Amino acid sequence: MRGWGAGEDQPLIRLGDSMNAATAWLAEWRRTLRDPALSITVLVLWALLGLFILFPLVKLSAWTFVDGGHFTLANLQAIFQDPNHRQAFWNSLLLAALVGLCGTTLGFLYAFTAVRTNLSRAWITILDAASLLPLISPPFTTAIATILSFGPRGLITYHILGIKGFTIYGLYSTLFSETLTYFPIAYLTLKPILAAIDPNVEDMAFSLGSSRWRVFRTVTLPLTIPGLANAFLLLFAASLADFATPLILAGNNFPVLPTQAYLQITGLFDMKGGAVLSFVLLVPALVVYLLQRYWVSRRYYVTVTGKVGAQTTIKSVAPWARSPLLGACLLVAAGILYFYVLLFYTSVVVALGANHAWTWQHYQVVFTAGLRAIHDTLIIAGAGMPLGGLYGILVGYLVAKKIFPGRQAMEIVSMINYSLPGTIVGIAYLMAFNDPPLVLTGTAFIIVACYVFRYSPTGIRATVALLQQIDPSIEEASEGLGAGSRTTFRRITIPLILPAFFAGLGVVFIRSMTAISATIFLVSINWTLITVRILEDMTTLDLGSAAAFSVLVVVIVFVVIALISGLLRRFRAHGAVEITSILGG
Amino acid sequence: MSAVGIRIDGVSKRFLHRVKGEVYAVRDVSLTVQPAEFLTLLGPSGCGKTTTLRMIAGFEQPNSGRIFIGEQDVTGLMANQRNIGFVFQNYALFPHLSVFENVAYGLRVQRKSEGDIARVVGDVLALVGLQGYERQFPNQLSGGEQQRVALARAIVIRPRVLLFDEPLSNLDAKLRVHMRGELRELQKRLSITAVYVTHDQEEAMAISDRIAVMHQGAIVQEGTAEDLYRCPSSEFVAQFIGRTNLLTARVLAAGATGVEIELAGQRIRVPDETARVAIGETVRVVVRPEVIDVHPADSGSGILGSIVSRTFLGEKAEYQVQVGAEILQVTSYDPVRRGTFAPGQQVRLSFPAEGIQLLPGEA
Repeated sequence: MRGWGAGEDQPLIRLGDSMNAATAWLAEWRRTLRDPALSITVLVLWALLGLFILFPLVKLSAWTFVDGGHFTLANLQAIFQDPNHRQAFWNSLLLAALVGLCGTTLGFLYAFTAVRTNLSRAWITILDAASLLPLISPPFTTAIATILSFGPRGLITYHILGIKGFTIYGLYSTLFSETLTYFPIAYLTLKPILAAIDPNVEDMAFSLGSSRWRVFRTVTLPLTIPGLANAFLLLFAASLADFATPLILAGNNFPVLPTQAYLQITGLFDMKGGAVLSFVLLVPALVVYLLQRYWVSRRYYVTVTGKVGAQTTIKSVAPWARSPLLGACLLVAAGILYFYVLLFYTSVVVALGANHAWTWQHYQVVFTAGLRAIHDTLIIAGAGMPLGGLYGILVGYLVAKKIFPGRQAMEIVSMINYSLPGTIVGIAYLMAFNDPPLVLTGTAFIIVACYVFRYSPTGIRATVALLQQIDPSIEEASEGLGAGSRTTFRRITIPLILPAFFAGLGVVFIRSMTAISATIFLVSINWTLITVRILEDMTTLDLGSAAAFSVLVVVIVFVVIALISGLLRRFRAHGAVEITSILGG
Repeated sequence: MSAVGIRIDGVSKRFLHRVKGEVYAVRDVSLTVQPAEFLTLLGPSGCGKTTTLRMIAGFEQPNSGRIFIGEQDVTGLMANQRNIGFVFQNYALFPHLSVFENVAYGLRVQRKSEGDIARVVGDVLALVGLQGYERQFPNQLSGGEQQRVALARAIVIRPRVLLFDEPLSNLDAKLRVHMRGELRELQKRLSITAVYVTHDQEEAMAISDRIAVMHQGAIVQEGTAEDLYRCPSSEFVAQFIGRTNLLTARVLAAGATGVEIELAGQRIRVPDETARVAIGETVRVVVRPEVIDVHPADSGSGILGSIVSRTFLGEKAEYQVQVGAEILQVTSYDPVRRGTFAPGQQVRLSFPAEGIQLLPGEA
């Protein structure tokens, strides 16, 4: 019997009760000012964050709320008086809710089948691969494939089923396409949660006499509910922000806010209308973001167990139920695979549905007329990649390791552009940098800046997560062995956060290759993007070259992901820390 | 290199607590560690022992007081200028470096030649029994192996002092006992001054030359394990080191030959010449469970009590015995030959006078 009377956590002697936050804050200021490198870095970062995140949003608000120097709500009222716009608002919410519902269901089916039915590794790999495809493709790949399959001259609707004059455009096709595109987010969110449920907890319920269905209903499902809510909100936000899919599939009868704002600006040259519409989009986006960040994320159950329980097999699914579950998942996987095969097939035949002769002509177009777009995209992605990677680990390092005033504010502000729908960011940039003093629209610089500040937060988060996993004692150990702080930073800290650098870099590159919603407002005669070319081809019904471009993007992205995960794997073998997914978050 | 001592002189450390304001983690601690001595700071969590160790290492700066390593005042020096070896509770191995590079790290900082590094690292790895592990990475090692790498990394730079922050607490019980033997032997072989922090009194007693018990930011008693066990200076130490019956007695007489007290209705003469007590005063006394003898109730002298519970542990049996209103802990060794008593049974307890210690009066 050890430690008699060893009162754990003896109260320390109190000095003054309210020596407090103010003193701590002052100390922060003093410390920051004493370190010139830190204060300069912080100032420069704030200048950049102010210019490329806060300033455009202020401009957007000003366009919305200020008219002739006065505050006004007239612009907003005008939007809601237009039945078309009002319809777009409700349509956006309806679509997002449905995508959230369907995508979460599908994601849950996938996650449950993958981790709760004792599948072999090979099956899980197949499910993983099928769900990875839509995640890393340009956001409208599924939409294009949907048109190819079910469009007016679609492979399935027209040629196989022989339906003439079938209209695919509208809510259902958009819902279908967005669900397939975004359900992997739900899958990735739910998988670790379901996997973390200790089978011993389920065993306990069995031992108390529950049936399998009852265990699922009373134990497994309730433990997953916060995850389901989170997945729903993530999908809701993704659908709300999605621009490309509705532009291709929604058609005239189902307007949604992002496309409406785009058409207002590019079709009617009504900058104000576009700005106000995108501002309207901000409201639900913000609500969802706040719910997700401050409500759902705090509701996760931590399965309270002393030690990891004895290994036990998961018995929650009856043997007969396994095959239907797996079958359903494979059906979806087959559908996704079919879409990608179809995309490739379209790119190598003369005209899908009319002339199925093999040809390279679409790729010839891509590498001649389309070379400009490829060239521009690669330059922009190539420039954004190192900048974004650097910016990511810099902000991440400061936020996680340094103490300076406004640290939390910096973390929050750095996440804003990432969390907002691309349409808002694009229009805000357009508002901000179209007029003096800063005329940047039309340059490559503005597109690079947009990507860096929009897609680096993955790198920031990865850096913060890595640094939080690195115990302070590791740096102290280096110091204790005689190394100065500079040596410690160079030989210990930098190598340990290198994986975050590569992850951040990779995400910026991939998104630069595939994104469209923000940058479609920023392209110009001088600088254009592959994704914009694909959209143009879709509107002129040049399906072959749209498909060829898409295949090209998918291939480039795959190669880059393979390279980066190869790099990450090398680092993981050496370091103990790992980054679960370079697309996570 | 001959060993150097450590001297801590009136050191205090305050922290700014978000809620409580300013609190003392360590308050006016003075301590001397002799060259090549193995000293343990022992205490419950939050007592300030780790903070004290981290101040010796230079990871924390004291708010007042001075710290000397050998003759050198190191109070204002950074950790990287103190030439210390530190073994962390979680080992703090560099996850991106191999075993060899982990151990070589401190030598590389000193810009030793490659040849020297290879030779010295090889020697030290041999010393801790890790030959052949050079190219492994920390995440491929077991807890005990990681512990050895941490140790090798700390001693390879030939530090002036070795500092241990609960280094064995992440190992399982058997390995812990084994490793503490190894640690102690290595420290003796290197003849290096060591300060060791733990909350495990058995570990402290097994490994140390001397123990300093800490409580609420201060050192409450220093001495060998035996000193602390035999003559605890306070209730806290008496209860923290070993098991204890803390009883109240009345002083009947005090003189040059000892103190006569009345304990549980018995007159006992305690051979304690130093106690300053007044007749009629009540004092607290410490009676260790194993000094109390248990006999059958019909065996003559002793206080009558009844067994409340019995725990049979093989080499000993532990009883709880009700005496009047109090429950006493009693340990009886070799129960196989001497027989045991069943709960409910009446027994007689006797207290040998030399097994009883008076606690100094506390305010």
